[in-house]
Amino acid sequence: MTNTAYCFDLDGTVTRDELLPIIASEVGLSEEIGFLTRLTIQGQIPFEMSFRLRCRLLSDIPIKTVAEIVDQVPLDETISDFIKSNTGCCYIVTGNLNVWIEKILDKLGCGFFSSEATWRSDGKLGPLTKILRKSDAIRELRSKYDRLVSIGEGANDLPMFQEADIRIAYGGVHAPAHGLVEVSDYVVSNGRALCRLLRTL
Amino acid sequence: MPIIKNAVIAAAGLGSRLGHGKPKCLVEVAGKPILEWQLRLLDEVEDVRIVVGYMEQDVAKLALSLRSDVIIVRNPAFRSTTTQQSYWLGGRYLQSPCLYLDGDIIFNPESFKAFLDRAGMVSPLIGIASSKTEQAVFAETIVDSAGNLMVAGFSRNNKSPWEWANIACLPPGMLQENGGDVFSRLASFIPLSAQSVECFEFDTDADLLQAEEFGKKISGLF
Repeated sequence: MTNTAYCFDLDGTVTRDELLPIIASEVGLSEEIGFLTRLTIQGQIPFEMSFRLRCRLLSDIPIKTVAEIVDQVPLDETISDFIKSNTGCCYIVTGNLNVWIEKILDKLGCGFFSSEATWRSDGKLGPLTKILRKSDAIRELRSKYDRLVSIGEGANDLPMFQEADIRIAYGGVHAPAHGLVEVSDYVVSNGRALCRLLRTL
Repeated sequence: MPIIKNAVIAAAGLGSRLGHGKPKCLVEVAGKPILEWQLRLLDEVEDVRIVVGYMEQDVAKLALSLRSDVIIVRNPAFRSTTTQQSYWLGGRYLQSPCLYLDGDIIFNPESFKAFLDRAGMVSPLIGIASSKTEQAVFAETIVDSAGNLMVAGFSRNNKSPWEWANIACLPPGMLQENGGDVFSRLASFIPLSAQSVECFEFDTDADLLQAEEFGKKISGLF
């Protein structure tokens, strides 16, 4: 029996909407975050620098406030049901911060890899202690599993896809990034199709 | 009645003989792309996979716009692999019989449904059509002791009233990765249960005109 792990991107895959624009909008920083996001997508600033800058912009907002905003973002029901029924072999692999996404991770109940930050005594964001490289997550799982399935939609999922055995580009919220499709084995555009595929693998 | 739950459409090829610069599944017949004709026939099949290669973005976009829960299977090596490889990729990991069909054929819906119904009970089941062209892959048929039509062989040379119709229902494990022609692979398992289907394939613009007539004729049957 092949031992398989399913590795899911979070934003725009398990969640029905991208988290960062929602957080930005709630705290009145849509323009600034949007600008940084556009520069990142255009490849004008490296992902890591972009992530640090975006966290910096949001660092004045209490962690609890951001976590509550994130908790309101709906999850794709079919995908989250799949994860909850297979917690032992499902993993969230996200560049997002552990302190912001804690409640979603608790709801799903599966393993996870994320970026990390500390709490300041005033409840705001402390320094970033880890920026996740998705490829590292897959490599770590390699020792425990015979087969690794990656599910994602953005260009930042490429490192994860390059290490995985079966690669599924997901287009639930928006069409998956072209560069990601080019290294994928499958493309699906809704949660039902995704879970149907996962159950056959 | 047991039903077929999985279908794979091989739509990765170039359709170069037709010379329209696009895969045949995107060519319109009687107002609809071939892919649309085929997806309508598969309405009742819960799991449909479309194998893409040439112009994959256009084929995937059309497929997903017609039916959002299809699974797109990529065959990036489409230029150097056969249809069997597309079928193999599409049906990979499946544990139950699967319907495989080429993405460039229009089927009479009543005849297609009869094939699908029979495939639920008999697998493997090979689709054969009355032979129309010189370039057909002819299917030699026999009738077994129970009166069932069976394929006893395939040949490009020995003419027969029947040809391989590029549609079959196959159990897991029958197809080979990086194998040759589908019919050559199927020949290793003869005799095989067969069922006739009414369909139209087209390779030339002349064929396309006839396909239009066929399409208009069967439109009312949907």
